[in-house]
Amino acid sequence: MSVESVLESIQTSALGVWMRDTLPAMQVVEATHVLAAVVVLGTVLIVDLRLLGLADSSRGLTRISRETLPLTWIAFAIAVVTGSLMFTTSAEVYFANPAFRLKAIALLAAGLNMVLFQLVTARGIADTGAPPRSARIAGLLSVLLWTAVVLLGRWIGFTKGYDFTIPPDVDLTIAGALM
Amino acid sequence: MRPFAEWLSGTYPSVAIQTTFWFIRLLQATHLVTAGIACVSGIMLALRALEWHRADQPFPAVWQRYAPWLGLSLGVMVVTGVAQTLGDPVREFTATSYWVKLALVLISIAGTLALARTLRASPPVGLRPSAKLFAAALIVFWLAIVMLGRMIGYDLAIWGDLSLRT
Repeated sequence: MSVESVLESIQTSALGVWMRDTLPAMQVVEATHVLAAVVVLGTVLIVDLRLLGLADSSRGLTRISRETLPLTWIAFAIAVVTGSLMFTTSAEVYFANPAFRLKAIALLAAGLNMVLFQLVTARGIADTGAPPRSARIAGLLSVLLWTAVVLLGRWIGFTKGYDFTIPPDVDLTIAGALM
Repeated sequence: MRPFAEWLSGTYPSVAIQTTFWFIRLLQATHLVTAGIACVSGIMLALRALEWHRADQPFPAVWQRYAPWLGLSLGVMVVTGVAQTLGDPVREFTATSYWVKLALVLISIAGTLALARTLRASPPVGLRPSAKLFAAALIVFWLAIVMLGRMIGYDLAIWGDLSLRT
Protein backbone atom coordinates (compact mmCIF):
# COMPACT_ATOMS: atom_id res chain seq x y z
CA MET A 1 0.00 0.00 0.00
CA SER A 2 1.53 3.31 -1.06
CA VAL A 3 1.60 6.51 0.99
CA GLU A 4 -0.61 8.16 -1.63
CA SER A 5 -3.31 5.52 -1.30
CA VAL A 6 -3.25 5.76 2.51
CA LEU A 7 -3.60 9.53 2.31
CA GLU A 8 -6.41 9.23 -0.20
CA SER A 9 -8.30 6.72 1.91
CA ILE A 10 -7.92 9.02 4.95
CA GLN A 11 -9.39 12.03 3.20
CA THR A 12 -12.16 10.08 1.50
CA SER A 13 -13.12 8.38 4.79
CA ALA A 14 -16.51 9.16 6.32
CA LEU A 15 -14.76 11.20 9.02
CA GLY A 16 -12.81 13.21 6.48
CA VAL A 17 -15.92 13.93 4.43
CA TRP A 18 -17.88 14.89 7.55
CA MET A 19 -15.12 17.22 8.73
CA ARG A 20 -14.97 18.91 5.32
CA ASP A 21 -18.68 19.22 4.72
CA THR A 22 -20.09 20.00 8.16
CA LEU A 23 -20.15 23.60 9.23
CA PRO A 24 -18.62 24.63 11.59
CA ALA A 25 -16.77 21.36 12.40
CA MET A 26 -13.42 22.27 10.84
CA GLN A 27 -13.52 25.81 12.22
CA VAL A 28 -14.27 24.70 15.81
CA VAL A 29 -11.75 21.85 15.64
CA GLU A 30 -9.06 24.19 14.30
CA ALA A 31 -9.69 26.82 16.98
CA THR A 32 -9.54 24.07 19.63
CA HIS A 33 -6.29 22.80 18.11
CA VAL A 34 -4.76 26.28 18.28
CA LEU A 35 -5.88 26.65 21.88
CA ALA A 36 -4.47 23.26 22.88
CA ALA A 37 -1.16 23.98 21.14
CA VAL A 38 -0.62 27.31 22.89
CA VAL A 39 -1.57 25.79 26.26
CA VAL A 40 1.08 23.10 25.65
CA LEU A 41 3.60 25.84 24.88
CA GLY A 42 2.61 27.97 27.88
CA THR A 43 2.73 25.13 30.40
CA VAL A 44 5.97 23.69 28.99
CA LEU A 45 7.49 27.17 29.35
CA ILE A 46 6.84 27.10 33.09
CA VAL A 47 9.05 24.01 33.44
CA ASP A 48 11.58 25.27 30.88
CA LEU A 49 12.09 28.58 32.66
CA ARG A 50 12.90 26.60 35.80
CA LEU A 51 15.37 24.48 33.82
CA LEU A 52 16.96 27.63 32.45
CA GLY A 53 17.26 29.03 35.98
CA LEU A 54 15.13 32.06 35.07
CA ALA A 55 12.23 31.39 37.46
CA ASP A 56 11.21 29.37 40.51
CA SER A 57 14.81 28.55 41.49
CA SER A 58 13.78 27.85 45.09
CA ARG A 59 11.04 25.43 44.03
CA GLY A 60 11.88 21.81 43.30
CA LEU A 61 11.96 20.78 39.65
CA THR A 62 10.06 17.57 40.40
CA ARG A 63 7.35 19.53 42.13
CA ILE A 64 7.00 22.04 39.27
CA SER A 65 6.85 19.21 36.75
CA ARG A 66 4.25 17.34 38.81
CA GLU A 67 1.99 20.37 39.20
CA THR A 68 2.29 21.58 35.58
CA LEU A 69 2.83 18.65 33.22
CA PRO A 70 -0.60 17.01 33.74
CA LEU A 71 -2.10 20.14 32.12
CA THR A 72 0.48 19.87 29.34
CA TRP A 73 -0.47 16.26 28.65
CA ILE A 74 -4.20 17.00 28.61
CA ALA A 75 -3.64 19.87 26.16
CA PHE A 76 -1.27 17.71 24.09
CA ALA A 77 -3.85 14.91 23.84
CA ILE A 78 -6.48 17.42 22.67
CA ALA A 79 -4.00 18.83 20.14
CA VAL A 80 -3.27 15.34 18.77
CA VAL A 81 -6.98 14.46 18.41
CA THR A 82 -7.93 17.81 16.82
CA GLY A 83 -4.81 17.81 14.63
CA SER A 84 -5.66 14.32 13.37
CA LEU A 85 -9.23 15.43 12.62
CA MET A 86 -7.91 18.40 10.66
CA PHE A 87 -5.54 16.10 8.77
CA THR A 88 -8.44 13.95 7.56
CA THR A 89 -9.93 16.90 5.67
CA SER A 90 -7.04 17.26 3.20
CA ALA A 91 -4.47 14.57 4.00
CA GLU A 92 -2.71 14.84 0.63
CA VAL A 93 -2.43 18.63 0.79
CA TYR A 94 -1.15 18.61 4.39
CA PHE A 95 1.35 15.83 3.68
CA ALA A 96 2.81 17.75 0.75
CA ASN A 97 2.99 21.02 2.71
CA PRO A 98 6.60 21.87 3.75
CA ALA A 99 5.37 23.71 6.86
CA PHE A 100 3.44 20.61 7.95
CA ARG A 101 6.52 18.40 7.50
CA LEU A 102 8.73 20.84 9.38
CA LYS A 103 6.16 20.99 12.18
CA ALA A 104 6.14 17.18 12.40
CA ILE A 105 9.96 17.17 12.63
CA ALA A 106 9.93 19.89 15.31
CA LEU A 107 7.29 17.93 17.23
CA LEU A 108 9.35 14.73 17.09
CA ALA A 109 12.48 16.61 18.15
CA ALA A 110 10.63 18.22 21.08
CA GLY A 111 9.35 14.81 22.17
CA LEU A 112 12.81 13.27 21.86
CA ASN A 113 14.30 16.12 23.90
CA MET A 114 11.68 15.50 26.59
CA VAL A 115 12.36 11.73 26.69
CA LEU A 116 16.13 12.22 26.78
CA PHE A 117 15.78 14.74 29.57
CA GLN A 118 13.58 12.43 31.65
CA LEU A 119 15.70 9.31 31.09
CA VAL A 120 19.20 10.77 31.13
CA THR A 121 19.64 14.41 32.15
CA ALA A 122 17.09 14.62 34.99
CA ARG A 123 18.61 11.65 36.83
CA GLY A 124 21.86 13.43 37.55
CA ILE A 125 20.63 16.87 38.62
CA ALA A 126 19.65 18.24 42.03
CA ASP A 127 15.96 19.02 42.47
CA THR A 128 16.56 22.55 43.79
CA GLY A 129 19.15 25.27 43.28
CA ALA A 130 20.89 26.43 40.12
CA PRO A 131 20.38 24.03 37.21
CA PRO A 132 23.46 22.47 35.54
CA ARG A 133 24.41 23.22 31.95
CA SER A 134 22.76 20.02 30.63
CA ALA A 135 19.42 21.08 32.14
CA ARG A 136 19.78 24.58 30.69
CA ILE A 137 20.45 23.15 27.25
CA ALA A 138 17.41 20.84 27.53
CA GLY A 139 15.28 23.81 28.65
CA LEU A 140 16.49 26.06 25.84
CA LEU A 141 15.93 23.35 23.23
CA SER A 142 12.45 22.76 24.59
CA VAL A 143 11.51 26.47 24.40
CA LEU A 144 12.82 26.74 20.83
CA LEU A 145 11.24 23.51 19.59
CA TRP A 146 7.79 24.04 21.10
CA THR A 147 7.73 27.65 19.87
CA ALA A 148 8.67 26.32 16.43
CA VAL A 149 5.82 23.79 16.61
CA VAL A 150 3.29 26.59 17.26
CA LEU A 151 4.75 28.95 14.66
CA LEU A 152 4.97 26.25 11.98
CA GLY A 153 1.41 25.27 12.78
CA ARG A 154 0.41 28.88 12.15
CA TRP A 155 2.45 28.80 8.96
CA ILE A 156 0.36 25.89 7.66
CA GLY A 157 -2.62 28.23 7.98
CA PHE A 158 -0.77 30.90 6.02
CA THR A 159 0.17 28.51 3.24
CA LYS A 160 -3.43 27.33 2.96
CA GLY A 161 -4.60 30.93 2.89
CA TYR A 162 -7.26 30.41 5.52
CA ASP A 163 -8.07 33.76 6.84
CA PHE A 164 -7.04 36.70 4.78
CA THR A 165 -6.99 37.55 1.13
CA ILE A 166 -3.71 36.57 -0.42
CA PRO A 167 -2.44 38.80 -3.20
CA PRO A 168 -2.35 36.66 -6.38
CA ASP A 169 1.33 37.40 -7.03
CA VAL A 170 2.50 36.22 -3.60
CA ASP A 171 4.38 32.91 -3.44
CA LEU A 172 3.12 31.16 -0.32
CA THR A 173 5.69 28.38 -0.19
CA ILE A 174 8.47 28.53 2.39
CA ALA A 175 10.99 28.84 -0.44
CA GLY A 176 9.02 31.82 -1.70
CA ALA A 177 8.95 33.42 1.74
CA LEU A 178 12.70 33.02 2.15
CA MET A 179 13.48 34.60 -1.24
CA MET B 1 -19.09 50.49 12.18
CA ARG B 2 -18.50 49.25 8.62
CA PRO B 3 -18.16 52.78 7.10
CA PHE B 4 -15.59 53.65 9.78
CA ALA B 5 -13.72 50.38 9.13
CA GLU B 6 -13.73 51.04 5.39
CA TRP B 7 -12.42 54.58 5.93
CA LEU B 8 -9.71 53.22 8.29
CA SER B 9 -8.62 50.61 5.76
CA GLY B 10 -7.82 53.39 3.29
CA THR B 11 -5.58 55.35 5.68
CA TYR B 12 -1.80 55.33 5.28
CA PRO B 13 -0.91 53.08 8.30
CA SER B 14 -3.54 50.53 7.28
CA VAL B 15 -2.39 50.43 3.64
CA ALA B 16 1.24 50.17 4.78
CA ILE B 17 0.43 47.09 6.89
CA GLN B 18 -1.76 45.55 4.17
CA THR B 19 0.95 45.88 1.57
CA THR B 20 3.80 44.60 3.75
CA PHE B 21 2.73 41.00 3.49
CA TRP B 22 5.32 39.39 5.82
CA PHE B 23 4.38 41.89 8.53
CA ILE B 24 0.86 40.44 8.83
CA ARG B 25 2.34 36.95 9.28
CA LEU B 26 4.77 38.21 11.90
CA LEU B 27 1.99 40.03 13.77
CA GLN B 28 -0.32 37.00 13.79
CA ALA B 29 2.43 34.60 14.87
CA THR B 30 3.63 36.89 17.68
CA HIS B 31 0.06 37.52 18.79
CA LEU B 32 -0.59 33.76 18.95
CA VAL B 33 2.50 32.90 21.03
CA THR B 34 1.89 35.74 23.50
CA ALA B 35 -1.79 34.78 23.71
CA GLY B 36 -0.65 31.35 24.89
CA ILE B 37 1.59 32.85 27.56
CA ALA B 38 -1.14 35.24 28.74
CA CYS B 39 -3.76 32.47 28.73
CA VAL B 40 -1.64 30.05 30.78
CA SER B 41 -0.48 32.77 33.20
CA GLY B 42 -4.08 33.88 33.77
CA ILE B 43 -5.23 30.28 34.24
CA MET B 44 -2.45 29.53 36.75
CA LEU B 45 -3.42 32.58 38.83
CA ALA B 46 -7.09 31.56 38.75
CA LEU B 47 -6.14 27.98 39.70
CA ARG B 48 -4.12 29.34 42.64
CA ALA B 49 -7.13 31.41 43.71
CA LEU B 50 -9.09 28.14 43.74
CA GLU B 51 -6.18 26.51 45.65
CA TRP B 52 -5.75 23.89 42.90
CA HIS B 53 -2.26 25.09 41.97
CA ARG B 54 0.67 25.88 44.31
CA ALA B 55 -1.65 25.97 47.30
CA ASP B 56 1.42 25.58 49.54
CA GLN B 57 2.74 28.97 48.37
CA PRO B 58 1.22 32.26 49.56
CA PHE B 59 -0.76 34.00 46.81
CA PRO B 60 1.61 37.02 46.64
CA ALA B 61 4.49 34.68 45.73
CA VAL B 62 2.45 33.02 42.98
CA TRP B 63 1.32 36.46 41.80
CA GLN B 64 4.95 37.56 41.61
CA ARG B 65 5.74 34.47 39.52
CA TYR B 66 2.99 34.82 36.90
CA ALA B 67 1.79 38.47 36.90
CA PRO B 68 4.87 39.90 35.10
CA TRP B 69 4.45 37.32 32.31
CA LEU B 70 0.74 38.04 32.13
CA GLY B 71 1.34 41.80 31.95
CA LEU B 72 4.14 41.56 29.40
CA SER B 73 2.32 39.16 27.10
CA LEU B 74 -0.87 41.21 27.30
CA GLY B 75 1.15 44.29 26.38
CA VAL B 76 2.55 42.56 23.28
CA MET B 77 -0.93 41.24 22.48
CA VAL B 78 -2.36 44.76 22.57
CA VAL B 79 0.35 46.13 20.26
CA THR B 80 0.11 43.25 17.75
CA GLY B 81 -3.69 43.18 18.06
CA VAL B 82 -4.02 46.92 17.32
CA ALA B 83 -1.67 46.55 14.34
CA GLN B 84 -3.67 43.59 13.01
CA THR B 85 -6.90 45.54 13.43
CA LEU B 86 -5.38 48.46 11.60
CA GLY B 87 -4.19 46.11 8.87
CA ASP B 88 -7.64 44.68 8.20
CA PRO B 89 -10.27 46.77 10.03
CA VAL B 90 -13.27 45.52 8.04
CA ARG B 91 -12.46 41.88 8.82
CA GLU B 92 -11.98 42.63 12.53
CA PHE B 93 -14.75 45.14 13.20
CA THR B 94 -17.39 43.06 11.41
CA ALA B 95 -16.56 39.90 13.38
CA THR B 96 -18.69 39.04 16.42
CA SER B 97 -15.79 36.95 17.72
CA TYR B 98 -13.59 40.08 17.75
CA TRP B 99 -15.93 42.04 20.02
CA VAL B 100 -16.64 39.09 22.32
CA LYS B 101 -12.89 38.48 22.57
CA LEU B 102 -12.22 42.14 23.45
CA ALA B 103 -14.96 42.08 26.10
CA LEU B 104 -13.55 38.88 27.62
CA VAL B 105 -10.01 40.32 27.65
CA LEU B 106 -11.23 43.34 29.62
CA ILE B 107 -13.34 41.21 31.99
CA SER B 108 -10.48 38.75 32.54
CA ILE B 109 -7.92 41.49 33.28
CA ALA B 110 -10.28 43.28 35.66
CA GLY B 111 -11.33 40.00 37.27
CA THR B 112 -7.75 38.81 37.76
CA LEU B 113 -6.78 42.14 39.32
CA ALA B 114 -9.83 42.02 41.61
CA LEU B 115 -9.00 38.47 42.73
CA ALA B 116 -5.38 39.45 43.32
CA ARG B 117 -6.42 42.46 45.36
CA THR B 118 -8.49 40.25 47.65
CA LEU B 119 -5.91 37.48 47.94
CA ARG B 120 -2.92 39.77 48.48
CA ALA B 121 -4.58 41.40 51.50
CA SER B 122 -2.82 41.16 54.82
CA PRO B 123 -3.78 39.25 56.92
CA PRO B 124 -4.74 36.67 54.24
CA VAL B 125 -8.45 36.20 53.62
CA GLY B 126 -10.22 33.31 51.93
CA LEU B 127 -12.41 33.67 48.88
CA ARG B 128 -16.18 33.59 49.17
CA PRO B 129 -17.94 30.87 47.13
CA SER B 130 -19.11 33.48 44.60
CA ALA B 131 -15.51 34.66 44.12
CA LYS B 132 -14.38 31.05 43.64
CA LEU B 133 -17.07 30.61 41.02
CA PHE B 134 -15.78 33.74 39.30
CA ALA B 135 -12.20 32.38 39.41
CA ALA B 136 -13.45 29.22 37.69
CA ALA B 137 -15.23 31.38 35.09
CA LEU B 138 -11.95 33.25 34.51
CA ILE B 139 -10.31 29.97 33.45
CA VAL B 140 -13.02 29.51 30.82
CA PHE B 141 -12.65 33.16 29.73
CA TRP B 142 -8.86 32.89 29.22
CA LEU B 143 -9.37 29.75 27.11
CA ALA B 144 -12.19 31.39 25.16
CA ILE B 145 -10.02 34.43 24.37
CA VAL B 146 -7.54 32.26 22.42
CA MET B 147 -10.28 30.33 20.62
CA LEU B 148 -12.20 33.47 19.68
CA GLY B 149 -9.03 34.98 18.25
CA ARG B 150 -8.80 32.09 15.80
CA MET B 151 -12.54 32.22 15.10
CA ILE B 152 -12.42 35.81 13.82
CA GLY B 153 -11.55 34.45 10.39
CA TYR B 154 -14.59 32.15 10.42
CA ASP B 155 -17.20 34.49 11.86
CA LEU B 156 -20.09 33.55 9.58
CA ALA B 157 -19.50 29.79 9.96
CA ILE B 158 -19.27 30.07 13.75
CA TRP B 159 -21.94 32.63 14.59
CA GLY B 160 -24.39 32.27 11.70
CA ASP B 161 -27.08 34.94 11.96
CA LEU B 162 -25.36 36.39 15.02
CA SER B 163 -22.32 37.32 12.96
CA LEU B 164 -21.93 41.04 12.36
CA ARG B 165 -20.92 40.13 8.79
CA THR B 166 -24.51 39.17 7.90
